[in-house]
Amino acid sequence: MTGFLSLLFLLGGLILLLFAPRLGLVPRWRARRLRRERAVTEDGLKHLLLYSLRGQPATQESLAGSLRLSARKLVRLLARMEAKGLIHSTAGHIELQPDGERRAREIVRAHRLWERYLTDELRTPLEKVHSEAERAEHTLSRERLDALEAHLGHPLRDPHGDPIPLANGSITEIQARQLSDCFAGEKIEVVHVEDEPEFLFREILALGLRPGQRLQVLESSPEAVVVWDGERRLRLTLPEAANIHVRSAPDLAVRPPGTIPLDQLPELQPAEVVEIDPEFRGLARRRLLDLGLTPSATVVAELRTPFGDPRAYRVRGTLVALRNDQAEHVWVRPKEARVET
Amino acid sequence: MSPQEVLDHADQLRRGLGVDFRDRMVTSLYEESRRIAARVVRRRGESSWDLDQRIDRIVTSPVWGLPLMLLLLAVVFWITIVGANYPSEWIARLLFSIERVGAALFEALGAPGWLTGLVWHGVWRSLAWVVSVMLPPMAIFFPLFTILEDLGYLPRVAFNLDWLFHKAGAHGKQALSMAMGFGCNAAGVISTRIIDSPRERLIAILTNNFVPCNGRFPTLIMLGMLFVGAAVPPALASVAAAGSVVAVVLIGAVFTFFVSWLLARTVLRGQASAFTLELPPYRRPSVLRILYTSLIDRTAFVLLRAVMISAPAGAVIWILGNIHASGASLAEHVARSLDPFGRALGLDGVILLAYIIAIPANEIVVPTMLMVYTGAGMMTEAGSLEELRRILVDAHGWSLLTAVCLMLFSLLHNPCGTTILTIWKETRSARWTALGALMPLGFAFLVTFLVASAARWLG
Amino acid sequence: MSKQAASTPDCARCPAGPGRLRPLGDRRAAFDYLVALAGNPNTGKSSIFNALTGLRQHVGNWPGKTVTRAEGGFSYDGVSFKLVDLPGTYSLLSASEDEEIARNFILFGRPDCTVVVMDATVLERNLNLALQIIEITDKVVLCVNLMDEAARKGLEVDVRTLARELGVPAVATVARTKAGLGGLVATIAGVCRGEIVCRPRRPAVDGKLEEAVAQLVPMIESVAPGLPNARWVAFRLLDGDHRLRRALLTGELSRLVSEQAAPVERAGRLIAIEGAQ
Repeated sequence: MTGFLSLLFLLGGLILLLFAPRLGLVPRWRARRLRRERAVTEDGLKHLLLYSLRGQPATQESLAGSLRLSARKLVRLLARMEAKGLIHSTAGHIELQPDGERRAREIVRAHRLWERYLTDELRTPLEKVHSEAERAEHTLSRERLDALEAHLGHPLRDPHGDPIPLANGSITEIQARQLSDCFAGEKIEVVHVEDEPEFLFREILALGLRPGQRLQVLESSPEAVVVWDGERRLRLTLPEAANIHVRSAPDLAVRPPGTIPLDQLPELQPAEVVEIDPEFRGLARRRLLDLGLTPSATVVAELRTPFGDPRAYRVRGTLVALRNDQAEHVWVRPKEARVET
Repeated sequence: MSPQEVLDHADQLRRGLGVDFRDRMVTSLYEESRRIAARVVRRRGESSWDLDQRIDRIVTSPVWGLPLMLLLLAVVFWITIVGANYPSEWIARLLFSIERVGAALFEALGAPGWLTGLVWHGVWRSLAWVVSVMLPPMAIFFPLFTILEDLGYLPRVAFNLDWLFHKAGAHGKQALSMAMGFGCNAAGVISTRIIDSPRERLIAILTNNFVPCNGRFPTLIMLGMLFVGAAVPPALASVAAAGSVVAVVLIGAVFTFFVSWLLARTVLRGQASAFTLELPPYRRPSVLRILYTSLIDRTAFVLLRAVMISAPAGAVIWILGNIHASGASLAEHVARSLDPFGRALGLDGVILLAYIIAIPANEIVVPTMLMVYTGAGMMTEAGSLEELRRILVDAHGWSLLTAVCLMLFSLLHNPCGTTILTIWKETRSARWTALGALMPLGFAFLVTFLVASAARWLG
Repeated sequence: MSKQAASTPDCARCPAGPGRLRPLGDRRAAFDYLVALAGNPNTGKSSIFNALTGLRQHVGNWPGKTVTRAEGGFSYDGVSFKLVDLPGTYSLLSASEDEEIARNFILFGRPDCTVVVMDATVLERNLNLALQIIEITDKVVLCVNLMDEAARKGLEVDVRTLARELGVPAVATVARTKAGLGGLVATIAGVCRGEIVCRPRRPAVDGKLEEAVAQLVPMIESVAPGLPNARWVAFRLLDGDHRLRRALLTGELSRLVSEQAAPVERAGRLIAIEGAQ
């Protein structure tokens, strides 16, 4: 009798473990599969949209390649998307339907806004934001995105320089050309760095080039492009230069010679603020500005801690502590006179 | 024109302005400020290197900065501990004599024994304990702290130590909320409001508990004297005892940095952060304001919360100690069932019971333990160190291991009820409150278990 | 700029007339006028608050800084004022919680007068906030505090020029010795009663931004007619201020105007601001 009872309990427990609503293993597994299915569908839509924006026709092969799907799974995916009215596919050629296109633009918006958030507010390294945004883009609700967009100050472009779609889905394409097409002597601003192929992207980042950066082209030849970023001469191979998109910006000044980052300013040496790094954004940048570190303000490094970091600077009459990883984004030009002690 | 159209138009205009228009706005505001200030302010004579700057050179000096800070901190603690001794005794004597008179009065009026016990030996005694242990150190510590604050010295401490906190993903101002935590963790949690970056503030709130508050200090000091002090020659006893308390505080600091580092990299990874720290000019503190803010705002406020929470605890303790079933009090039954678990942590059932009852206020841990050990019906204090040793070591088998584990447990365990309530009020989030309460408890179990196991394994 | 405002600096050191200024502590009774106290951190804002209300800050004001809003009252010439101490901030442009509280109170709390406490020793830094506040509201009194420290540092601050430059009354004070507080209270009362009319000078910003603002202002005025600070609202909309967008969409902004126009019963008026506490 007790044996039977305990068996009954065991079975009951097992059934509960497997099928309990929401918490059981089976419902959980199903929910996870649904989430994954949704993510794959959304990634597929995104791929189709990005191809059509570039003016390239998307094919079954390009889709399978980008989503890393087997042929069998791809067929199932396409059938599912078509059944939902998201796409229309004929003879290997796939076309987005209005519903699919709207959804795709939402995903692209989520992806790019999230990348912006990661770089601006969390200071995530640029080479990591893409993969994190790939995961986050499927989980962000419309309301959260709107709030995020406002919080970030309605950014126009993601950290790679790609335009962020508006809430209504419209995308403003940016006029840009390749750095490899520029002439010597031209003043330019980097607007976009192609993130594929990845090894080139990493090489470009390692050189310290970012969207928003201002450069002057020194030499341009069929072998290489040499640019001046205000500090260094950078030599780019042609494939690298072709992956950097720029616009000409004759009115923007490249940092004048003699500018140094604030954290390297000698103590008690007055200096004039030239600018805050254009790529140093978000709350951290606003705080620096609000403290009065605006162009042409005078700043003096007065104190440093026993550890050398942070240091305290006198800005507009007040002593403000800045960590070196903040101060290195503020560019200053030392003045002649030194403070008397 | 509809509001929505205005917004759409604004969005469109913003796109034409470019990303740096916010910069230009701030810049033009500051330029205008400079222009006006130049017309309004006239400077008489040469601007000289003033006194503030000279003081700053010393207090943040690479050589003198840190020693000076430690010295000041040591002086504050010394004044607090030494200065609180006598007032604590007087208040205890006064309050306990009121208990005797009150109980006698109840008896004379013919009140039933359980009522006298519950009201006077339960609720009142618990209040008396909390007040006499808590009030004097706070009434000394908070004004001293406020003087340093009003002088403008505390921001310099945050500045000096920021590098360490930065490494752990936290904010230098956390040093101040930690220092405040020595007075009371609830006050420490509230003081994290000075940290204006959301992530760093949460870190400071969640780790404040690893600073032992003055409700936990008496336990640490008693254990230090009884076990560590007794283990060395008498001449070195007080030094060793003090050293052990300092060691516990340092372990707490190490834990704070470790947990801050852990939090910044795990649960709080997605929170925004920005560092700002102003070093304001030194100002002469105004004595009246200091006395007022520190006594009324801080001391009275903390005391009131503690009293509200410890009164019911007193009632519970009395009931547990005085309701008997099959020959033993409820407290003993509970303690017995907790015993195996307690032993695994190097403690025993009674200690765990005392900590459960003492969730509202840590001051009553030791009296509750003694109550159960001696079988008295009310919270008890040992007359002398000798008597304490007899009860704990001889009668109930405490060893050095018990003392070490208890010190660690006291340092790491969950925050008291007042602090948990404060965490909730400050974060308005059940999730952070739960984490703030349970994470330290988990650490306490883990660390004491490891220490106890290691000690047993080594013999 | 009326005559009275210009004359207040002369009264910088005269004590409050006996019986005229009466601190009311935190008595939460009916009040005639609502006054907000803004300023940078460390300008002695709390000292001004304490000196006027007779309070020594409110319970819940922790380490040195005003972290939550403190409220208190005082009466002058038989008229009662409620004083709200806002968090100390350098600016009102960022998205930090403190700045949002201050910004929203000055706009949505509809104070009859906003006092900007300034540190005379670092006026340039403090002017940044003052300039932002006179964009939001006309009814501003500048309180140039810590005059004694400025004198010690060899600085001469000419409050009359300051008042002329900004177009709002300015009063010099030393909160520690209570010097100049009488003049401050008289000026606050004058502004509240409308006896002193402020004409804030709002500096133009650079070309492109000014153009965008000029386009937006008439649109905002057509949606919320009579709004006194359409220019500032335009700045905020361009900056993407979420709170203000919502206020415009829900019509809260236009309601603000109609309520401001009609004299409302102040007794027991609930001042709830979002984000506070």
